[in-house]
Amino acid sequence: MNREVVEQVLRDYYALRRPDTDPELEAVRVAILLEDVFKIRLSDAEIDAAVLTEVSSVAGLVARLRGDS
Amino acid sequence: MCGVCGIVSWGEAPDLPLLRRMMNRLGHRGPDGNGFYRDRHAALGHTRLAIIDTSHGAQPLCNEDGTVWVTFNGEIFNYVELRDELRRCGHAFRTASDTEVIVHAWEEWGTGCFSRFNGQWALALWDRREQRLVLSRDRLGVRPLFFVRRSTGLLFASEVKSIFADRSVPRAFDPVGLDQIFTYWSPIAPRTVFRDIEQLEPGYFAILDREGFRKAPYWGITFPPQGQEIRQDFQENAETLRERIVEAARLRFLRSDVPVGAYLSGGIDSSITAAVIARYTNAPLQTFSVRFSDSEFDEGQYQKKMSAVLGTQHEDIVVSPSDIAGVFPEVIQHAESPILRAAPAPLFLLSKLVRDNGYKVVVTGEGADEVLAGYDIFREARVRLFWSRDPGSAKRTRAAELLYPWMARSPGRVPAFARSFFGRHLDPGDPAFSHRPRWDSTSVISSMLSGDLRSEIDGASGDDILSAMPPGNEDWDPLSRAQWLEMTTLLPGYILASQGDRMLMANSVEGRFPFLDRDVVDFAGTLPANHKLFGLEEKYILKHAFADLVPDDIIYRPKQPYRAPDAMSFFTPDCPAWFGEVMSERSLESAGVFEPSVVAGLLAKCERTGGENMSNTDNMRLLAVVSTQLTYESLILEKRYGPLERPISDPSVAVDLVTDDRTV
Repeated sequence: MNREVVEQVLRDYYALRRPDTDPELEAVRVAILLEDVFKIRLSDAEIDAAVLTEVSSVAGLVARLRGDS
Repeated sequence: MCGVCGIVSWGEAPDLPLLRRMMNRLGHRGPDGNGFYRDRHAALGHTRLAIIDTSHGAQPLCNEDGTVWVTFNGEIFNYVELRDELRRCGHAFRTASDTEVIVHAWEEWGTGCFSRFNGQWALALWDRREQRLVLSRDRLGVRPLFFVRRSTGLLFASEVKSIFADRSVPRAFDPVGLDQIFTYWSPIAPRTVFRDIEQLEPGYFAILDREGFRKAPYWGITFPPQGQEIRQDFQENAETLRERIVEAARLRFLRSDVPVGAYLSGGIDSSITAAVIARYTNAPLQTFSVRFSDSEFDEGQYQKKMSAVLGTQHEDIVVSPSDIAGVFPEVIQHAESPILRAAPAPLFLLSKLVRDNGYKVVVTGEGADEVLAGYDIFREARVRLFWSRDPGSAKRTRAAELLYPWMARSPGRVPAFARSFFGRHLDPGDPAFSHRPRWDSTSVISSMLSGDLRSEIDGASGDDILSAMPPGNEDWDPLSRAQWLEMTTLLPGYILASQGDRMLMANSVEGRFPFLDRDVVDFAGTLPANHKLFGLEEKYILKHAFADLVPDDIIYRPKQPYRAPDAMSFFTPDCPAWFGEVMSERSLESAGVFEPSVVAGLLAKCERTGGENMSNTDNMRLLAVVSTQLTYESLILEKRYGPLERPISDPSVAVDLVTDDRTV
């Protein structure tokens, strides 16, 4: 899974909607998307706005959880 | 769209006066003409809503030598292309109707003809030489087809009331059929709520001849194994989906010899179908909407906006709770089934508006929620899966708030709600993972059933819907399984029936559904699940594909399920007298379905609040009782709440080979 794919998924996601005003709830929403699309499982620590906002950190997380890196 | 009926008898010749009575009871489905055919063993009846080739195309209609006859309800939208193909095979056509294509297609391809049809139909073919009756129904159950088998033959019809024109057909509830409605919201075909009355399964054909009765599918709902979808390119898929929906909408708008209107609900699906028609055809468009006097249910602002954007001529009707109560008995007489929501009633009034405006065909957005994953039940299943991976996680518990925004205002209730609603039936391998909560919450209705009925249900062998799932479904994406269940239960048994065909045909209006086009459904079935439900974004690919045709505030507005006032409709100061009568202890005991003392408790609860602010469950329980009682009174006792028969005119086709009379 390369970074471009993750970036594209997140771009598509944000193109559709405005983020929730509650950052934790927004993180939960992104976690649902990532777990479904990439067939990964996030820990509670990873379901966090600080982790799931930046595209580069999300791409790294997805790669690590999929064992791609 | 029309009404069809018929009799096959291996003994005495079919009873012609009975056939005429059956046709009379289908007068509302076909007020523009009628006809019949009879020989020694079969009689076919037809009441016509003339839409294609209005001057010709009367039915029943036969092939060149009169050996194959058809009575047909519906449309074959690709009939022009099929006719060209059949002409190249040497078939000669006398009319420009799609009906004639059916008889020649049958001659050319036999039972293989059905998979070539792109349309919505219920039909019966009688092959005189083979003495064989063939019944067929469209892929998803847009058009109804009921029958009763007897040792001497069979009766079939578009509606049960037509079969009940034969007084020798027993009238009684089927306990298992009722139980299925009180669980799945609809009976599972071939079962109905009436004992011995069957319905042909969508996507099936059936044959009756001297060798007996048998049936087989010609099509089925299917999905690829998860991760093995051949089409992975989202942009390409969105473009193809758009092409197919545009073509489906064009076919349904242009293939008609009478004007076609469109429904506008205010949601994305009907907005897209109306927008496609406006963009891709040159004809002016008339749109119709139902509104509500209660702002909780009303979507008028979105309907008005979409109409203005498209420049349509627009008509709407504002429905109050009293209006719903006023027409509800007639609604049930047409639906011929218990229902768990009042939502069909406003659609009955809407189709009347359409008819009063001189239209008899409308294009609507039905089917998009099932085919492209728009319902909350799909989102709920995804959240439950997410939550089940770590039920102890406080963060995962908050996912419930994404489904139900009211929880954000009551954060203290979220964990308890999540545990009670999501914390059961969490086996991801369960093929009905998505639907267990709904089935559980609906089946509370069963707690009101009478002891006798409960015993009958417990003693009967039920139907296992899960065993009917196609082989290999365990490899499908969970969303695909949920879609299969929804397209097999709620779609044909409620959305397209009680809320669809019956409410439209009650006022002689045909509905056409681009999202249920063969090519749209087949294509959507091949898509990766996350192209349809992307995270929690429903109908994602549809929104993407038509983002340029529909305003942002409609395309991205939170989904508002179509709902109408339920219990409150029956507790207004001007509630009609029928309500007290059908809910009386005497009537409840006569029907024998519900325990009167339990119903009395429910009624007392409703009376205290005027039917307002009732829980979802209590609304459903009340509607179940009211509609079951009305089904009993109007269908089984034949108490009339509206015209049961609409006397039909002299037939334009009258072929009676028994007495050798013929008028064509």
